Amino acid sequence: MQRRKFLSLGAAAAAVSVLPVGLSATDFRATAPKAWEAPSSREAIEALFGSSKMIEGQIQIKAPKLAENGGAVPISVKSKMAFTTIAIFQDANPRSAVAVVESEGGISDMTTKIKMRKSANVTVVAKGADGKLYSAVQKVEVSIGGCGG
Amino acid sequence: MKIKAKIKDDVTEVKLLLDSPMAGKEEAALKKIEEDYLTHVTAKVGGKVVWEASTGPFLSKNPYFKFEFKGAKKGDKLVIETINNKGKTDKDEAAIK
Repeated sequence: MQRRKFLSLGAAAAAVSVLPVGLSATDFRATAPKAWEAPSSREAIEALFGSSKMIEGQIQIKAPKLAENGGAVPISVKSKMAFTTIAIFQDANPRSAVAVVESEGGISDMTTKIKMRKSANVTVVAKGADGKLYSAVQKVEVSIGGCGG
Repeated sequence: MKIKAKIKDDVTEVKLLLDSPMAGKEEAALKKIEEDYLTHVTAKVGGKVVWEASTGPFLSKNPYFKFEFKGAKKGDKLVIETINNKGKTDKDEAAIK
């Protein structure tokens, strides 16, 4: 009995170790699961950063005013500051959080492509090396939706 | 995936094209496929994480990222690792030009 118990314990431990235990230091999907379920940008931002107090005017969002293909809307984030974390949110899909990017060395320039199934605001929230939160909002018009329909 | 990394004055610029349908709950139901999207992307040089992203299904299909980081040198290997919602991992690398 003892031996069987020991073996089953071993099997359980092996199963756990096979699971990919986070590739990195911060997996925001694991540390802030609520942020990824939040339907609005405001709720997602609060769930992720624990605050909604933002400083505006330091971040530039470059996005098309009219996106023809909502399946891949290019979003560029630029700043004179270097941020440790940059998060992108939108209010065009059932849930708001799109991606949270991190770099210890600081990020001041990045581009990605997101899905938007209707016209909506894109919100970028960034955390500076000073620990303060910075944000910017840009409205994007979408002519053809891009959420699989 | 496709990785392009170019260094200029200590700043390495990376262009990354990943492979994933990025199908979330609603999209998967609509297309009658399983949910399948990347949840995390990590960029490493010499075993050290230089950039990473937690991602969700509202990135475009086959997600694109352009980013910069400092501290690498020409010829260093940039390793990109991804994991999806089902725990499936992928890995690729490219030399920094």
